[in-house]
Amino acid sequence: PAPAEAGRAPGPPDGGWGWVVLFGAFVSIGFAYAFPKGLAIFFKEIQDFFGTSYSEIAWVSSIMLATTYGAGPISSILVNRYGSRPVVMFGGLLCGVGMISAAFCTSILQLYVCVGFITGFGLALNLQPSVIIIGKYFLKRRPIANGLAMAGSPVMLCTLAPLNQFLFDNFGWRGSFLILGGILLNCCVAGALFRPIGPGTATVKTQVTEESKNARKGTITEDGPMENKTEEEEEGKDCFEKINQYLDFSLFKHRGFLIYLIGNVLMFLGFFAPIVFLAPYAKHTGIDEYSAAFLLSILAIVDMVARPATGIIANSRWVRPRIQYFFSFAIAFNGACHLLCPLASSYTGLAVYSGFFGLAFGMVCAMLFETLMDLVGAARFTSAVGLVTIAECCTILLGPPIGGILIDTFGDYKYMFIKCGTVMVLAGTFLFIMNYYNYRMLAKEGKERKKKEEDPQSVRTENEGKKTWNKDSTQSGPELEPLREEGEGVKKEMNGT
Amino acid sequence: LLTGVSGTPQEKNISLASPTKVELTCKLDENSNLKNPQVTWKRGSETISHTIKTQNSWTIQVTISDSSHLGSYTCILKGEKEVSATFHLQVPKIEGKEKPVITYEGDIAVMVCKTEYKPKSWTWYMANGTELVPIDKILPKDKCKFKTPSANVARLEILKLTKADGGVYWCEAIFELGKSKARFELKVLSIVAPLKPFIAIVAEVAILVTTVVLCEVYSKRKAKGREKEFDQIERL
Repeated sequence: PAPAEAGRAPGPPDGGWGWVVLFGAFVSIGFAYAFPKGLAIFFKEIQDFFGTSYSEIAWVSSIMLATTYGAGPISSILVNRYGSRPVVMFGGLLCGVGMISAAFCTSILQLYVCVGFITGFGLALNLQPSVIIIGKYFLKRRPIANGLAMAGSPVMLCTLAPLNQFLFDNFGWRGSFLILGGILLNCCVAGALFRPIGPGTATVKTQVTEESKNARKGTITEDGPMENKTEEEEEGKDCFEKINQYLDFSLFKHRGFLIYLIGNVLMFLGFFAPIVFLAPYAKHTGIDEYSAAFLLSILAIVDMVARPATGIIANSRWVRPRIQYFFSFAIAFNGACHLLCPLASSYTGLAVYSGFFGLAFGMVCAMLFETLMDLVGAARFTSAVGLVTIAECCTILLGPPIGGILIDTFGDYKYMFIKCGTVMVLAGTFLFIMNYYNYRMLAKEGKERKKKEEDPQSVRTENEGKKTWNKDSTQSGPELEPLREEGEGVKKEMNGT
Repeated sequence: LLTGVSGTPQEKNISLASPTKVELTCKLDENSNLKNPQVTWKRGSETISHTIKTQNSWTIQVTISDSSHLGSYTCILKGEKEVSATFHLQVPKIEGKEKPVITYEGDIAVMVCKTEYKPKSWTWYMANGTELVPIDKILPKDKCKFKTPSANVARLEILKLTKADGGVYWCEAIFELGKSKARFELKVLSIVAPLKPFIAIVAEVAILVTTVVLCEVYSKRKAKGREKEFDQIERL
């Protein structure tokens, strides 16, 4: 970017074209989360057509989900290299191709490949860049932006479910897959809106050079510390740096990142199972099919409203500096809902549970990526989100089957709810305690850094001998500063970056 | 042994696949207002005489050996009020598909018939007007396949579909005690049918992407033009 541009706009715009990008992210994220769930309508017909068992069909969904989450790192690497826009457009194209070829499949294995792998990979290439680009366009209003973008998921689900049913009734499953392939191509439109943002890349570059310098100091090399050198001038880069340039593995030494990772991996064990089993549980207690489906609708509608609302609350002056606590509270609240569910025996009880569950689910989802951005900063978020999704991939896939095993062994749904509730309350408490510790450490390090900023020489010598977790706080420091000291916010940003 | 509980007029459907002995019992709830009622078991207009009475329940034993013994059995309790419960003894119902099965020309149509009990055999019919004609008589052997993946599931596959194959099909399960039918409607569409909305959507995507790109190029040119103006003004 030209020097004039970098000087003119130092931070994310927080508006303007950002709202258009937000709409694109809304569509993209909506498809990524809602599409696998919406496909369930076709499964019975496909099962009859190919003469397979229910579990073989369920694999299609599992492969799709696993690929969407597991391909996270690949998505991150591509975004680090090429930026969000080309990746999303390619992802949309891939999804479309996947579903169109699925329309012509003649065996269940081909469906695994076309719907599971290809479309799943395309959705992964949609999901990550959309979340990443929100971090590039928004800072002050980022929680609202995240909440609104994540609201795409329930809105798309509510649209896709009846649409899929309509397509199926009129065109059978093959025709529906063909048309859905076309609809997925709309992700390319969303991607076209993701204009690469100039000033963001300027700050990213300086942050990346700082990171690569520290990464070098972290890894033992023969070269002495070389300051004031950009990456392009470097020769003889070792392997770690090259990988770190594409996927920042040094994140594993980042305290905040590790806390988030452990807490989330634990949470996802109990996150999705209740949704999967809500309708069967309702039918089990004697409620008819349509009312059971209506429970899920209640959930989706409350979810739709809860996400932007949570975004607004999270953006307020009181919550944003302590957003990690809010997140832990949301998770624990979610867990508490599940623990109380077995007490609800009537339809009204279950409806109330669905309402609260929708609220809690929306709160957690709205802040899922916002808290990660808050911890690691917009620059390293690209790699962070990739690493987090591949770690979550395992527990997400394990959650519902474990719940299923509990239900089958005990013949009663309440143990599944108790398990999910306990896991989430534990995760929430863990995150709460660890983030309290993290906030205190960050405050301490912030004070130390302010003292040293008066003496620049000692900063450099300190840098060489600093422990790893201190180093990481310098990355997250500039992130939180504009929020804590709102008056000096803009000035600090320009100084820090 | 089958029981029905009285209170309000109750009905229960019982499916029987093969000849068996059945006991039907009507039990009176202890909290009911009816005390010492007169109980009659009826089948249609016929009264059944051999009723076994215990403290609060009345039982009949019925031997179902062929389809003539199937039907509705009612127990009527007469006191101050009249309360009744009916048991419908029937051949098992088989599941078909209420909504039409949609397939495409050249594709395979699959119709699956399921039931809870094991029938003796399955037959498939095609509806020709109001007549039901067995399929194996109309269609050649390479055109359709019958499969029974398990005893209570029947599968009909029709290959190389043409528009003429569309219509109503019936699946019949033959039990020892009778027959049961399920209906399927087959619709054969041409490949063009879903292609029209698909092409419309792809065209819409292409138009939108082009519009977005053009807008961006236009606004960049405008910005460059303005920058040049600023530079010129600065030099002056």
